[in-house]
Amino acid sequence: MTDQVRRGTSRGFSGVVSPWWIAVTALFLVVFFVIPIINNLLNTDQLVTLAKQRPASFYYEKLFTDPYYLGIVADTVTLSVGVTVICIIIGYPVALFLVRHAGRWSGLVIFLLIAPLLTSIIMRTFGWRVLFARRGLLNDFLLWIDAIEKPILFLNGPTSAVIGLVHVLVPFMVLSIASVLRSIDLQLEESARILGASRFKTFLKVTFPLSLDGIGTGFIIVFLLANGSFVTLLLLGGGELKTLPLLIYQQFTISRDFQFAAAMSNVLLAIAVGCLYLQLRLIKRKGVKG
Amino acid sequence: MLIYVVLFFIFLLGPIFIVVSISFTETEFVAFPPQGFSWKWYQRFFEYEPFIDSFIVSVELAIATALLAVALGVPAALAVTRGRVPYANTIMTFLLSPLSMPLIVVGFALLFYLSALGLGVSFVSLLIAHTVISLPYVVRTVAGVYRGISPDYEESAAVLGANRMQIFWYVTLPMIKPGIFAGMLFAMLISIDNLPISFFFGSADTNTLPVVMLSYLEHQFDPSVAAASSIQLIVAIIGLFIVERIYGLDAMAPAS
Repeated sequence: MTDQVRRGTSRGFSGVVSPWWIAVTALFLVVFFVIPIINNLLNTDQLVTLAKQRPASFYYEKLFTDPYYLGIVADTVTLSVGVTVICIIIGYPVALFLVRHAGRWSGLVIFLLIAPLLTSIIMRTFGWRVLFARRGLLNDFLLWIDAIEKPILFLNGPTSAVIGLVHVLVPFMVLSIASVLRSIDLQLEESARILGASRFKTFLKVTFPLSLDGIGTGFIIVFLLANGSFVTLLLLGGGELKTLPLLIYQQFTISRDFQFAAAMSNVLLAIAVGCLYLQLRLIKRKGVKG
Repeated sequence: MLIYVVLFFIFLLGPIFIVVSISFTETEFVAFPPQGFSWKWYQRFFEYEPFIDSFIVSVELAIATALLAVALGVPAALAVTRGRVPYANTIMTFLLSPLSMPLIVVGFALLFYLSALGLGVSFVSLLIAHTVISLPYVVRTVAGVYRGISPDYEESAAVLGANRMQIFWYVTLPMIKPGIFAGMLFAMLISIDNLPISFFFGSADTNTLPVVMLSYLEHQFDPSVAAASSIQLIVAIIGLFIVERIYGLDAMAPAS
């Protein structure tokens, strides 16, 4: 890499655009991304509020000592981790299929995975509401097979919110795992098979460990997305399951306590940064890829 | 395993199929399976002013976002991939960092910041916020394509005496066009579907379609939202189709 650069330099060619262009783009991000977030971190005190302004510490104290809010912080993390783990379990076989068995259908499988990503989150939530409704498809089916006697209230509970979130996020997991699975040298698996390992054992001892990086990447992507989402919870959770993003939304739209919302968004930010730190550790372990 | 995969895709696509079919129902309420066939909910979409107004805002915003993101993202992607830039990896991580921030935090922070700057709730604020979050997509797709192109072409042009501008215009640009195009489409799709940021900047003039759909859904539940979603889906599928034709679908995998 350094050699290449030096060779380029000696011929008087230093890239097609001036490195200064980066400064322009970086400046845009600093002014409209970094500073606002730092501003939010530091100035929770100064947000325009009503007369009853309180110091920021009041809100952080409330978040971390009041059992109700502590529970919400814990629920946010638990929900994100839970959704991510379910995505891994559901998504892994699909990724394996895509890479090893789909063959000439792999284009179609990728299309089917990506298509839902391009539909609006509202659309997918709407679909689940129809399915889960009291007189919806799922209840009708369960009544028809006599599994239940009366319609069950699926909607507006943690279960429907988790299903909705998994539905939105599982394609990211599949694609992350698949991109790593694709890079695994097939000869390693063949060698294991030749040396007498069963199919299952080959998977367990060779393929699966090698794909852990993909699971790691997928975990971080899905966790971060789950951590920040509120639309699914708002429309499917029915307020029973409260998380930080949902509370920020409600503070903003209903209670209009901006200071508290700012404090909560900073806690959410801290969770995301913690997750990113893990990601950096993961990349370092792998070695930086060009 | 095949059965599992089929079940998986039923799970993944079922809700979308349901919404599309509901949008054609003749009934006044949400009914599945839909009864009869009619276009009336699409008609309602185009007659209900908040929908159509916000749809126009969304489309304008998506186009403006894509253009600004390309203007900022392409030069940076080129320079960081193949310029003499110290700490190129760190800079790349920085350029991609908005991807990892919870959108609701970005929106909240930007609302108060831009208000303090005097921009407040306006189209410009929306444009800035949407550009921040779609910029990484442009940088990533363009850098991905550019990395795959041998530097020999540009170096040959330089040896033959072309200046930077000429090299960029006649050599580099034609080769990275697919990346720019895909990046633009990403930026548009990200912008048009965004809710966690847009809702902070909502006002009569700046409500985007998802914001209006959300507030509509919070109060009523009728098939017009299904029609609105289907229209959005058609826009997305056309975009996806174009990208596939030009660029191939593998490049769209988020983690690749």
